[in-house]
Amino acid sequence: MSNRRYGYYYTAPLVFWVLAFFLIPISIILVFSFLKKGLYGGVIYEFSLSAYQSLLNPTLFKVLITTLYMSCVATLLTLMLAIPTGYFIARSKHKNFFLFLIIIPFWTNFLIRIYAWIAILGNNGFLNQFLIKSGLLENSIQFLYNPLAVILVLTYTYLPFAVLPLYSTIEKFDFSLLEAARDLGATKFESFYKILLPNIKSGIFSAILFVFIPAFGAYAIPQLVGGRNSFMIGNIIARELTVTRNWPLASAMSSMLTFITIIGVLYFLRENNKGSKNKTNVKA
Amino acid sequence: MSKHKTSSFNRGLYSTSMFILTIFFFYAPILVLLIFSFNSSKSMMWEGFSWRWYSDLIYKSPALWASFDKSLIIAFFSALVSTFIGTIGAIGLYWYNIKFKKTLQLMTVVPMLLPEIILGVALLIFFSSAGMKLGLFTIFLAHTTFCIPYVFLIVMSRLDEFDKSIVEAAYDLGATELIVLTRIIVPICIPAIVAAFLISITLSLEDFVITFFVAGPGSTTLPLYIYSMIRFGVSPVINSLSVIILIATVILSLLSLKFAKGIFK
Amino acid sequence: MKINKLVILCSMILLLFLTGCVGGKKEKPTLYVYNWTYYLPAEVITAFEKKFNVKVVYDVFSSNEEMFAKLKAGGKGYDLTFPSGDFTKIMIKEGMLAPIDKTLIPNFKYIDGRMIAKIKFDEGNKFSVPYMVGTAGIAVNKNQVKNYEHSSSIFGRSDLKNKMTLLDDMREVIGLALKNLGYSVNTTSDEELTKAKDLVLQWKKNVLKFDSESFGKGFASDEFLVVQGYAENVYLELDESQKSKVDFFVPKEGGPMYMDSMVILKDSKNIALAHQFINYILEPENFAKIVDFLGLPSINTGTKKFTTTTPNYQIEDLANCEFKEDLGEAVEKYNKIWEQIRI
Repeated sequence: MSNRRYGYYYTAPLVFWVLAFFLIPISIILVFSFLKKGLYGGVIYEFSLSAYQSLLNPTLFKVLITTLYMSCVATLLTLMLAIPTGYFIARSKHKNFFLFLIIIPFWTNFLIRIYAWIAILGNNGFLNQFLIKSGLLENSIQFLYNPLAVILVLTYTYLPFAVLPLYSTIEKFDFSLLEAARDLGATKFESFYKILLPNIKSGIFSAILFVFIPAFGAYAIPQLVGGRNSFMIGNIIARELTVTRNWPLASAMSSMLTFITIIGVLYFLRENNKGSKNKTNVKA
Repeated sequence: MSKHKTSSFNRGLYSTSMFILTIFFFYAPILVLLIFSFNSSKSMMWEGFSWRWYSDLIYKSPALWASFDKSLIIAFFSALVSTFIGTIGAIGLYWYNIKFKKTLQLMTVVPMLLPEIILGVALLIFFSSAGMKLGLFTIFLAHTTFCIPYVFLIVMSRLDEFDKSIVEAAYDLGATELIVLTRIIVPICIPAIVAAFLISITLSLEDFVITFFVAGPGSTTLPLYIYSMIRFGVSPVINSLSVIILIATVILSLLSLKFAKGIFK
Repeated sequence: MKINKLVILCSMILLLFLTGCVGGKKEKPTLYVYNWTYYLPAEVITAFEKKFNVKVVYDVFSSNEEMFAKLKAGGKGYDLTFPSGDFTKIMIKEGMLAPIDKTLIPNFKYIDGRMIAKIKFDEGNKFSVPYMVGTAGIAVNKNQVKNYEHSSSIFGRSDLKNKMTLLDDMREVIGLALKNLGYSVNTTSDEELTKAKDLVLQWKKNVLKFDSESFGKGFASDEFLVVQGYAENVYLELDESQKSKVDFFVPKEGGPMYMDSMVILKDSKNIALAHQFINYILEPENFAKIVDFLGLPSINTGTKKFTTTTPNYQIEDLANCEFKEDLGEAVEKYNKIWEQIRI
């Protein structure tokens, strides 16, 4: 592939966009994190490391751990639902229809859907009433306002973002491989684990990114369905930006998070590339 | 591509039941919403059937409709542009050996990692120091910005591990680049492009935080409008609007299934 | 080939859209108002538009903090906004406001002198014109809660554990505790603040969550029985039939209160029109429509003969309440305490 000229033209719009709207905001954030905070928000243009010093705060660490825990569980749950769902759609005859079916609920407003969940899970909500009327429960259970409710709604909110990339990779998967494996005596689980999963790795990778990252930065969800202690890192950043008006600290936190996730992404990309190289070798 | 078979293995019991579970999970709140849109009371307790919120929506909510129009326009165009830029960029990066490939790949994904509120403020600072007038256009730019990484990753994961020999063969048979692009690469990517477009629409219709910052006078989108109601209670008119949106999209998707097969397949 | 058609179609729509953006010049003078949602009934705005043959573009925000962060980061184009007292002061200090020319606002004379006397955030009203006063009170579901006093100590009742919410707002919650202990809501004394912190921590054991967004909905569906919050927020979620279950009161110890003011932004291009708008709002007949709509006490002395409803609470109920002031550097103390309470 050496004599092809159009490659640069293909990437030109992307390069332009990356330069104009990605790099500049990120640089602004990075610069802000090294400045002094203005009393009423904004920054004072003097070099300072105080934002990074305030990062070494044990309460912050505690919040980071909770956030990590909640977004990991939500990502796992999402994958467990999304892989079979993507598989089902990829194999069905009405792919586009099912795709729409998956995505349509999410064209309604987010806040409204959360309120609907509150109506379902509340003490006088549908679920509790159903359980009480059917005699399974005597008193209503407090489903809402705890970490589990946050995880549930996170899973709900980001599930479609996992289904779509998984669908698009599973769709091109050569299903005859599965049958071949079965013919050779592999169990269903083995053929799934050893054949399907490695072949849709890049789809899984995108799905994880699409769920984990927004879940990690979530802030409206913990505010609406979380309990008295449900602070996630997104809430803290939003708070530093608006309420306590410490813009450098908010910037420093975001820079740190971005930095950590970049390392994760790089690692993932490397593993991913390794995997695909091995596979082409096998094919050849 | 393998053709469809309907043996028991293909339509596994497990994937079918998980699919049904997912659909149930997705539509449970929608069902609640549907029920409440016909509730005669404002609260989340059933008081009786009424068309009240639908008539309010149709006759008394011009501001709501105006914001809805804006959201729709922005969602459509930012999804269109981001799908175009992201797809063509992913194809370019994937099929050509371009300098700084890794860096570009990484930089494309990074904006996804920034917390929304931070990206919102950073974009606002950028737009206002560049002297741009805040409004629908800046919202469109911002939405396109946060949609591109999603499009890019979806198309990239579709291209990944694709059998390159088909393209080589096409070139050997004398196909031009344009033909290879439009007849081979793009058709291969169609499922990913459709998925990416849908995700972009969703992201754009959904976004509140970033939009809040980059919006200018007179460019209140639907989420901005709804969120700002929080202090005074969100009106059930929004429920009836959601139901109407749902029904319209279901009809549209059914139509597209019938008439647009040629485009999507 | 169908793909090509699709591409052509889409680019044509795009072109249409872009040209649509460029065209459409406005001829009428336009006033850009940035306000809380539902804070001004649409009929008042339309009447103003008709009377002066102008156009009003009305945008909304949901918290002072958001509005301020946006304007601070460079959000331009608005003429008029409605910050609360502490933010009015901050905006004055940051030089974001244009001075008010009172000769252009003859209706200023209707504003209740008792209220003007309490203003410290902008003494002499050089930059702001009062709009509304109010306070976060406490709403109790009296069908289910019996034997209580009109006091903020209700949050100490462990028999109501997990049935109560406090606002997710540092100044409101700490302020309520400070007043409960008999201190000022603007105190900077470490000792007083520590005591207030301990009190809030006790309350925290009984409250289900800190919530500023959906307590009204939760209260309407009997999920929460006691909530700290704004009256309009509680009442707007309820139908007439349900209103009888609410007992909304301002705690006898008092609490923080707010005054939202009308201010003109410095980079406004319609300063004269903005003054005209403020004056129009203060016209007793118009102001009455607004307080009827909001259910808030009127600070306009001329509205009595025009109002048709009684507000959810009276100016007199606010006797023990105190305006929240901007705390300057001392806000750090509050931040620290709030962090210890919340996390």
